[in-house]
Amino acid sequence: MPTKNHYAFVIDVARCIDCRACLVACSVENNVPMDHTRIWVHDQQVQGEWPTLSHTFVPYNCMHCDTPPCTEVCVSGATYKDAVSGLVLVDQEACIGCGYCVEACPYGVRYIDQRRGVVDKCNACVQRLEVGLQPACVATCVGKARMFGDLNDPNSEVSVALRNAKTVTRLDYEKAGIDPDPNIYYLNLVETQSILSSDTFGQVPQAILPRDPHYTIAEEGWKKVAIPLLAAAMGATFLVQAFFFTKQLLEGEKEFEE
Amino acid sequence: MSHKNIPLPERQRLRQKMLKKHNLANILTHWFNVGSWLLLLPTGIAIISSPRLGITPIWWQEAFRNIFGSDANLIRFHYTIGFIWIFVILFNVLVGFRKYFLPFASHRMLLDRDDIQWMMTKPLQMMGFMKGKELPPQDAYNAGQKIYSYFVVICTIGIMVSGPVMVFKSLFPPIVKQIAQPIHFISVFVIVAWLFIHVYMGAIFPEEKEAFFSMFSGKVSAWYARAHHEKWYNEKLKEEVEWEDRVQQELLESPHLTEESSGPD
Repeated sequence: MPTKNHYAFVIDVARCIDCRACLVACSVENNVPMDHTRIWVHDQQVQGEWPTLSHTFVPYNCMHCDTPPCTEVCVSGATYKDAVSGLVLVDQEACIGCGYCVEACPYGVRYIDQRRGVVDKCNACVQRLEVGLQPACVATCVGKARMFGDLNDPNSEVSVALRNAKTVTRLDYEKAGIDPDPNIYYLNLVETQSILSSDTFGQVPQAILPRDPHYTIAEEGWKKVAIPLLAAAMGATFLVQAFFFTKQLLEGEKEFEE
Repeated sequence: MSHKNIPLPERQRLRQKMLKKHNLANILTHWFNVGSWLLLLPTGIAIISSPRLGITPIWWQEAFRNIFGSDANLIRFHYTIGFIWIFVILFNVLVGFRKYFLPFASHRMLLDRDDIQWMMTKPLQMMGFMKGKELPPQDAYNAGQKIYSYFVVICTIGIMVSGPVMVFKSLFPPIVKQIAQPIHFISVFVIVAWLFIHVYMGAIFPEEKEAFFSMFSGKVSAWYARAHHEKWYNEKLKEEVEWEDRVQQELLESPHLTEESSGPD
């Protein structure tokens, strides 16, 4: 579904030094509880053999996918893709924290805030966007590894960065009709891998690849067992009463049954 | 019990005579329940907007979200009415436990051998078989109504437990909230599946017209009771005869009254 704005993160992996200032800025801006973060930096550890070594840090957060699998499973529509901004947001007043969406997200970017009983995730700091500011993580990034902007605007910082990029990597997932089309674009991700050997060029580290969306037993049972059975039961009883009602209409009402 | 050899004046008398079937407490609880369901069912269906489940049409979801202003407001309305419903139903059951609920459960809900026979014959008759076979006499509620009442009781408990689990969301672990949702859904729609039959039989089906009006007045005619709920009718007759005997006995035993009644003669 095309939206008015097409916000995206562009993250230059080569510029990230794992300082994690973005995590702190995010937690402070969004009152994230101490035992969770909304954004992460994946530490690839030192790879390869001396002297060809590589140490990559991959910052990530909610990819604000074009067709997110998480909103598909939300029963009440508490999590949704915003029709204007295109961001994937959570209405925490409607959310009951059941975690269907947490299981369904291929990128594992959602968590349950058990104290409030709701699901929480990156909302690209919509409260800051509304007043014309960048998200807290982007504003605080010292190395300018994180960029954020509207891809629909050809002159935005992210559009320009993508045009000038040597390599762009997107952690897409496509299987069994599920195709989220994530909106985090990584710059220089494959180069950092290709230092190791020419074989690894174009390879993305296994650990940051998306996993299969997982559907909970409750949700699967609901969809695949409860709904068909109840639809059949309701159809049957409806047909029975419809049959007798039609019969009644055709035969006319008898005042006394004797 | 055949009615073929009942003479005309007796038939007219039976049509005139009214027997009390429902007490006011049950009538009011029933209609309160109806009102609550009319508010809860459409809003509840509107909340379910998961495209993967694909139950509710988009226009329905949007209409209700527009009426209430937002998703969260729609949910708040649903569970506020829900809590009022839970409170009133539980209040009625608990306050009237000994006076209304226990007699109702023990005299009107228990299945007996006739009921099982009825359950085996009636569906076949509805499909057009065994037309000649006579149905066994029924209690105040027939076997179908009795079985429906079990489903309603169990599913009502299911709704009343799974609903608050989803409202008091910080008290329960995610797995409980995950399971509560299908339980809530299943409990509601098991009742709704039966509800088609219940509403049709109660409000539209011509032979049961009296049953519908009895949910307002509490009374059915003796003729209707004799034809549809014979066992209950016989019980009522027995009560009446016992009452008559008792009154006669009292009149005989009271010398004051006999004197007075013989006085003016």
